[in-house]
Amino acid sequence: MNRTTRVLTVDDSASMRALLNHALSTNGFDVAQADDGVSALEWLAVNEVDVVITDINMPRLDGFGLIEQVRGGTRHRDRPILVLTTESSDEKKARARSAGATGWIVKPFDTDKLVAAVRRVAH
Amino acid sequence: MAGPETPLGSVIRLTVLQGQYKVSAGPRVELGTVLGSCVATCLFDPSAELGGMNHFLLPEPPASHAREEVDVHYGVYLMEMLINEMLCYGARKERLRAHLYGGANIRAGMAPIGTSNANFARGFLERERIELVRADLGGSAARRIDFRPFSGQVRCRTVSTSDVPDAAPQPRAATHRGDVELF
Repeated sequence: MNRTTRVLTVDDSASMRALLNHALSTNGFDVAQADDGVSALEWLAVNEVDVVITDINMPRLDGFGLIEQVRGGTRHRDRPILVLTTESSDEKKARARSAGATGWIVKPFDTDKLVAAVRRVAH
Repeated sequence: MAGPETPLGSVIRLTVLQGQYKVSAGPRVELGTVLGSCVATCLFDPSAELGGMNHFLLPEPPASHAREEVDVHYGVYLMEMLINEMLCYGARKERLRAHLYGGANIRAGMAPIGTSNANFARGFLERERIELVRADLGGSAARRIDFRPFSGQVRCRTVSTSDVPDAAPQPRAATHRGDVELF
């Protein structure tokens, strides 16, 4: 039996979390949400996930720090991590890639492209 | 970060057009815009002496939005882009203070877009826990806003509706919209 793909979205903007939740849940994903990198790590410590989607600029622990900690751990180190950000600089994209990000998506997101990317990296 | 556009005396005036946002820490910089039903958010971090302004036409994409309707003219994106740009230059979200202007319903008989914009902006700041220190929203008059991002000072004046640019959103190029790059 196919299990629903579980996605963790990490973004400090409540409005962006609401948009992501709507876009992903209406396309059949099981959505969990965290508002910064620290909250995401706390959730990941006790939950399973198929794909992580994270913003870059967040308080306490930003997206770069989150990716580094997930990749440096054991529980979720091989899980795909997509960065969803308003950043467009090549330097930040390269930094995300070198930290271990799986992909880079520029906001505002297009629901069809986002869903296609999540499905592609989830399998 | 915004650069000089039109030097005038000792003040560098920068215009924030529909669908744009600008951030500056320049002591001589003044960000300006003219609003009808659109809303402008002025954010200021007093410790970082840094401020920014956005100017949006519509609040959020509707739940049933078509792909071509997703563009940066929506408030939800312009708010986040403004906040992120300020954080990049040293602002802290918990220190941000906001002013909101615009949201007029200028033409009687038309959908109250100004009210929707104003309600969205207030709700957004509440959800994001950003302190709203001043709001001049609603009514039926156009407004001109001049904002000094270095000091946080704002001047709001009523102007003729003929000064308001037509609401003609220019969607961001499709090649940039939600592009996905897998590594």
